[in-house]
Amino acid sequence: MNLVQIEHVLAVAGGIVVFVVASIALRNDWKTPGMDNQVFKLMLGLLALGGVLAALAGLGVIGKA
Amino acid sequence: MAVVSIPGGGEVDQLYADTRELRLQGFLLFLVSDVVLFSSFIFAYLYLRNSGQGWPPPGIARPPISLAALNSAILFGSGATMHYALENFKRGNFLRYSSLMLWTILLGILFLCGQGIEYTTLYFQDHVSWAGSGIFGASFFTLTGMHGFHVFCGICYLVVLLLQSVHGVYDKNKYFGLTAGTLYWHFVDVIWVVLFSIFYLI
Repeated sequence: MNLVQIEHVLAVAGGIVVFVVASIALRNDWKTPGMDNQVFKLMLGLLALGGVLAALAGLGVIGKA
Repeated sequence: MAVVSIPGGGEVDQLYADTRELRLQGFLLFLVSDVVLFSSFIFAYLYLRNSGQGWPPPGIARPPISLAALNSAILFGSGATMHYALENFKRGNFLRYSSLMLWTILLGILFLCGQGIEYTTLYFQDHVSWAGSGIFGASFFTLTGMHGFHVFCGICYLVVLLLQSVHGVYDKNKYFGLTAGTLYWHFVDVIWVVLFSIFYLI
């Protein structure tokens, strides 16, 4: 396994972990009131999206090498 | 003095609750101003990109996606650790909070190291530079460099917050500084979602 393949595997694993953790945090905070918590929810949603993008890029599904 | 509840749990005095709201609004305005700054550069980049012939321009190498994807996962991971650091502080679990803050700082440093490796590879192997590769090099290094600078500032900010919390500046009910730090760190993550998409995915 060369360095590029290791980077791909770690990106996929990291992306999946981020997606799961961000989704759980979003679900836990869903009913929390307050302006700061509304911003947190938006940002956690985008963080989960980022995790998906990193995983898909690591898999080679999206992005150009 | 009257005691009031704050969103997310906890009770504080009225004065703190009032100033907390004002500080939160001020901090959100600061983040909005940063969004405007990044947006202007991003839209300029997209405009220039779509007015040329092919992207990247002929003769210029595209940045490697494998390292960028790994680097993105590292930065997004730091966003998750930061979020849980704040949650643990709210619950009074100081040991776990401290370790998650240290993980966040470490992942932030790792991200900057990854960006350093990417810059070095682009500059020395692919001969892509800020001034010598036309619009592509200028916009790539300006935007990612500006983001990297924000990450660096964020790391310094988190170190200060960690030291402050070790010295008892914050408690279970009064922790606005940590909320602001978490908001800033999430903001840095979210900006990277956009930059990662426009430079490496589309």
